[in-house]
Amino acid sequence: MLDRLRFVPGRLVQAIPVLFGVTLIVFFMVHLLPGNPAVAILGQTATPERVAALSKQLGLDQPLWDQYLLFMKHLFQGNLGTSITYQRPVSELVFQDFPITLSLLLFALVLSLAISVPLAALAATAPGRGRDLGVRAFTLLGQGMPQFWVGIMLILLLAVKAGLFPVGGYGETWGEHWYYLFLPALTLAIAMCPTVIRSLRASTINVLGSDYVGTARSKGAAGAGLFRKHVLRNAAIPTVSIIGVNLGYLIGGTLVIEKVFAVPGLGSLMINAILARDFPTIQAVALFVALFVIVIGILTDVVYTAIDPRVDLSSKELA
Amino acid sequence: MTRSTRLRFTGIAAVATVALAACGGGASSSSGSGGAPVDGGTLTIARSQDIISMDKTTTFDNNSIYVMEQIMEPLFTVSKDGSKVEPWLATGYDISADKLTYTIHLRKGVTFSDGKPLTAADVKFSIDEDTKTGSDGWGYINAAIDTVTATDDNTVTIKLKYAWAPLLADLSLFSNAIIPNNYGGKTKDEFYAAPVGTGPFVWGSWTKGQSVKVTANKKYWGHKPHLDAVTWTVVADANTRKLQLQGGQIDIDDTPDWSSFSSLKGTAGINAQTFPSTYEEYVTFNEQRKPFQDVHVRRAIASAIDRNAIIKTVLFGNGTVADSLLSPGTPFYDKNNGAPTFDVAKAKQEMAQSSVPNGFSTSILISSGNPDQASIAQIMQSELKAIGIDLKITQLDPTAQKQARLKSQFDMVAQAWTMDIPDPDEWTSFAVDPDGGSHSSFSYYDNPQVIALNKQAEKETDNSKRQELYSQLQKQVSADSPFAYLYYAPYVFAMKDSVKGFYSTPLGNYHLEDVYKTK
Repeated sequence: MLDRLRFVPGRLVQAIPVLFGVTLIVFFMVHLLPGNPAVAILGQTATPERVAALSKQLGLDQPLWDQYLLFMKHLFQGNLGTSITYQRPVSELVFQDFPITLSLLLFALVLSLAISVPLAALAATAPGRGRDLGVRAFTLLGQGMPQFWVGIMLILLLAVKAGLFPVGGYGETWGEHWYYLFLPALTLAIAMCPTVIRSLRASTINVLGSDYVGTARSKGAAGAGLFRKHVLRNAAIPTVSIIGVNLGYLIGGTLVIEKVFAVPGLGSLMINAILARDFPTIQAVALFVALFVIVIGILTDVVYTAIDPRVDLSSKELA
Repeated sequence: MTRSTRLRFTGIAAVATVALAACGGGASSSSGSGGAPVDGGTLTIARSQDIISMDKTTTFDNNSIYVMEQIMEPLFTVSKDGSKVEPWLATGYDISADKLTYTIHLRKGVTFSDGKPLTAADVKFSIDEDTKTGSDGWGYINAAIDTVTATDDNTVTIKLKYAWAPLLADLSLFSNAIIPNNYGGKTKDEFYAAPVGTGPFVWGSWTKGQSVKVTANKKYWGHKPHLDAVTWTVVADANTRKLQLQGGQIDIDDTPDWSSFSSLKGTAGINAQTFPSTYEEYVTFNEQRKPFQDVHVRRAIASAIDRNAIIKTVLFGNGTVADSLLSPGTPFYDKNNGAPTFDVAKAKQEMAQSSVPNGFSTSILISSGNPDQASIAQIMQSELKAIGIDLKITQLDPTAQKQARLKSQFDMVAQAWTMDIPDPDEWTSFAVDPDGGSHSSFSYYDNPQVIALNKQAEKETDNSKRQELYSQLQKQVSADSPFAYLYYAPYVFAMKDSVKGFYSTPLGNYHLEDVYKTK
């Protein structure tokens, strides 16, 4: 098994130029935006002279390339810079908010699997029949509803009307955090479910029709036992890569969901940083998200390798 | 012969605070009378953005300012109706005959929340600290101050470079709030990470992007706050704030948007309230661009806008037609200044007299994510069509919009102003004096007569003469119409019925020591 994970270090090395490219693109793109942090900070009393003075004080009057080189120099020293808005190390802000977004994503992943697997099984074991149509209708609906609307509806129904959950926020204790994150995670899960269900349903139908399931059935396997032992693992293989790709997209979705639910994660940090032109924070968050997507990609392949012994990414890469 | 104007306010502030507590939010009866004030509890206020910093001298955002005002207090403060300055940490002052020296008497028995007594040395340090920031902070507001001297423990002498009527108003600004001399021995950064002041609340904790908390100052010199603590939480989405209020999770929704406000108004258990403000929404004409050099064009547009339609659509009726450069909450506002009103015939007549009698095409710059400005621009688009003007709408994100304004890259721009001090000078110098640094609020309006009036009013300490000068100024600016005034909007808050005694002054300050919760 470990042998087959030899591709991981190679992947990590490949990530370096990708991340370098991300710094380059993000740095120059954010500087293309009109307006700088001094304009954002000074508020209604901003005048051209005062903006120029503050820009100078913040080092924003230096040539862009020099600013970029300084940023890269600091980055190699492990220093993400100082937030212009908060005058605090950016790493402090990112490390405060990243775990929140990560918990939200993982919670969403768990919920979406908890919804998808049974529904896909229900649909695939009776293709074309009532329950299959029901599940397919649900996926269509899930795909058609905008995330923020689903979020607001869940708040209205489960928080305001039923009073079961808080209306947004993050809570103070560890237990509260999960309680507060339930509705936003459910919203993200509902967005993610349709693709997972469809993929899982299709591959399950495929697997159910295969010779080895026929063999297993002839040997007396049936029902949940057959599904768990012989079907799910094989049907899950294509779904794993779909989940991997979706998690990458989902981190973009958290930007909206965090706003609707007032979750103080990376998405909220990013939106505020963009509005305030807090360049160091924008760069750090973008870098973090890029790193996250790369790690998800690698993890997806690890899971892929683990559940399908036939996959050997290491040999392919060595060849 | 020397004539010294001696004004003494000993005890007035104490009476004022008692009176405030007694009528607790008398601005409206609904948040007022709720029996005897109850002590204890935490007030939770949700608003769209986090604080940025507690550094009073270089922070420009209101979210931070409203929090720091609970902790650090100035020598003078604005009265509840916003019309005048009242002594706060000071008890009174004397002015020399040449109007260049102010002797300020400090209130005795005031201590900082760390127990140290307030002295003149603290006052000198605090005002000098602000002045030093110059144009990088609020220091420009102290430009008239030459020196601040601690004459004795309870007296401070301020010498001015020139006669300056707005001095007391300037001293009432949060940036001139009093902090311990030399930051109480800390560095500046250390101090503002956990500021100490004489205010009713003391710094508690701050989780960036989530919440900030202050707790009651047990040693407060005035009447002790009823609440144990106040927490401001960050809830970016207006709809979520509204739902949180309905769900009982928060006590106050700070600045609900207008649609939330009108729907919350009819909700049981919720008290949606307006308070007079100095907020004025207006459109600036860029006189560097054609054809806005032409006063007829400016007047034509100012006459073509149906303000009532805008107020109905944008504010759901919660506002009044703006009819002056100044707002009614600003001292020296004069209603009778002949500002253009909605009159299509007049607008057409002005167009006929202008350099572009057959109309022209132009654009208005607005800020994205600001539904109010989007509606204003759309209404103006259809109204200006009636007088032959083809209006395009340019939408940029807020910072980019500000940048375009600074660089004069616009034809017309929708803007708003709120006052920071109870004196018109801060605004008039920004709006009509090109020396104010903003090229007359980006209009490039330059009328020597108006500039002279403004300068004269700055030096005039006699209020009736100042009124006369500001009346003339308002009249002339309305005739020149470098701006089209649109509306005055109130401050809005939606709160639970159980919240009592909450009010906001026209400058947006709120005195949370007067607030209590009944349940």
